[in-house]
Amino acid sequence: MSDFQIDGVSKSYGSNKVLDNISLSLEPQETMVIMGPSGCGKTTLLLITLGALAPDQGEVIVGGKSVNNIPIEDRGIGYVPQDFGLFPHLTVYGNIAFGLRVRNMEDGEIRRAVGSLLEAFKLEGLAERKPRELSGGQKQRVALARALGISPSLLLLDEPLSNIDEATKVEVRRNLKDTLTKLKVTTLCVVHDPEDAFMLGDRIAVMYYGRIIQCAVPDELLRDPKDDVVRKLIAPVYVLKRTQT
Amino acid sequence: MMRDGFEAIINALACVFIAYMLISLFYLYVAVGESFGKVAMALFDSRVLGALTISVLSAFIVGSLAVAVGIPAAYLLTFKEFRGKEALQMLLVDMPQTFPPVTEGLVYLLMFGRFGLAYTFAAVIIAKFYVSAPFTVSFLTRRWREVKNDGYPIIARSLGARTRHLVSWVMLPLSARDLLAGFSLTWARAMGELAATLVFAGAIPWRTETIPTLVYLTSQGAPEIAMAASVIAETLSLIALFSFRWIGGGRK
Repeated sequence: MSDFQIDGVSKSYGSNKVLDNISLSLEPQETMVIMGPSGCGKTTLLLITLGALAPDQGEVIVGGKSVNNIPIEDRGIGYVPQDFGLFPHLTVYGNIAFGLRVRNMEDGEIRRAVGSLLEAFKLEGLAERKPRELSGGQKQRVALARALGISPSLLLLDEPLSNIDEATKVEVRRNLKDTLTKLKVTTLCVVHDPEDAFMLGDRIAVMYYGRIIQCAVPDELLRDPKDDVVRKLIAPVYVLKRTQT
Repeated sequence: MMRDGFEAIINALACVFIAYMLISLFYLYVAVGESFGKVAMALFDSRVLGALTISVLSAFIVGSLAVAVGIPAAYLLTFKEFRGKEALQMLLVDMPQTFPPVTEGLVYLLMFGRFGLAYTFAAVIIAKFYVSAPFTVSFLTRRWREVKNDGYPIIARSLGARTRHLVSWVMLPLSARDLLAGFSLTWARAMGELAATLVFAGAIPWRTETIPTLVYLTSQGAPEIAMAASVIAETLSLIALFSFRWIGGGRK
């Protein structure tokens, strides 16, 4: 049985149907990337999964059970927003410790847990810095450490590379991929850049105007795009592959 | 060099307005200077000191109460969605600014008079609270909505935060300056309230008489007392305004 499912989820704002009967299923430890142009409903789907928005129809299922009626704070889903959302008044340590303090862990236990996360995410020496003193890549690692600190059943990443400088993007992307592979946490990630999608995803769901039009592993998507829309959306990757070969 | 005649008219009218406002603001100090000896003596008059004590103390209590109820009110107006929310905000925040204070005093006299609250120190606080507390509610709500739009509450909730964690670890630290600014404006408005206090609390020296009521009652018979009380009130309000600017100016 899959770890996590979205089953027939729809959402409208007035007469504007943002999500139209979306169904997805993630295998344990898989990274699924939802790829699509801006405004196609990716972030709405992520917020429904997180519990910050209620779907009009359909269910979010974690471990075989619907979590539609479970509030966001009890879902145990890790979330890294587009701008990383680090609390500006807290240090790196304070940000990572937030979810642990909420759980009433003892100070010693929190110190040990945050210490291992700082080490795992190569953040040693930055514990006392404020978010404004960090680079984009460092902010991303802090946000990941904070989200993973609560041992989530699912990790949600919203455009994780859109706030990273072009100069460091390739390195940050490689590090993110390594982290996701190493930590083996089931991840749902939305991106608009097809190159990012092909680099990060074990599978890619192509989304267009509120619908998933194809969901496949990257090679299959390249080899056998379902229609012209998919072909057009992944065109930059074709170009890239051609220039690499 | 002036570009045209219309611009010259606009500039002249602006200068008249600025001069009028600044003269209104500082004329009191000029008048006090003219009869400095008498006013300086009146500064230590027992009635002035009593009014000052009651005014400052009641304004601090009103400011503290505004913070205590402003936090839950801001939470409701920021995070709860319900029909009539905008109308409620208008009634809580905007209406008290336009509601005639003298009528408000009468309302409290009718509402609480039967419980023996009229003409007490509690009546001073009740009368000042209605017009002053909205500043704190309004400042806090505006900032909390910004924090909400920045997405921090969703992140805190995703990490498991209950309402108490969200308010005390995220919302309040991120709005500390706005809370202080709201408090200082609430305090300044409470210091200046006259009509409702006069109707509901009266003017009993060292009990319910405040600086504004003292000025009102002595402006004809003992102008030096009125001037002494006024100069204190105006100076305190200038200090409150500059503190507010200083607190607000540091916000990012």
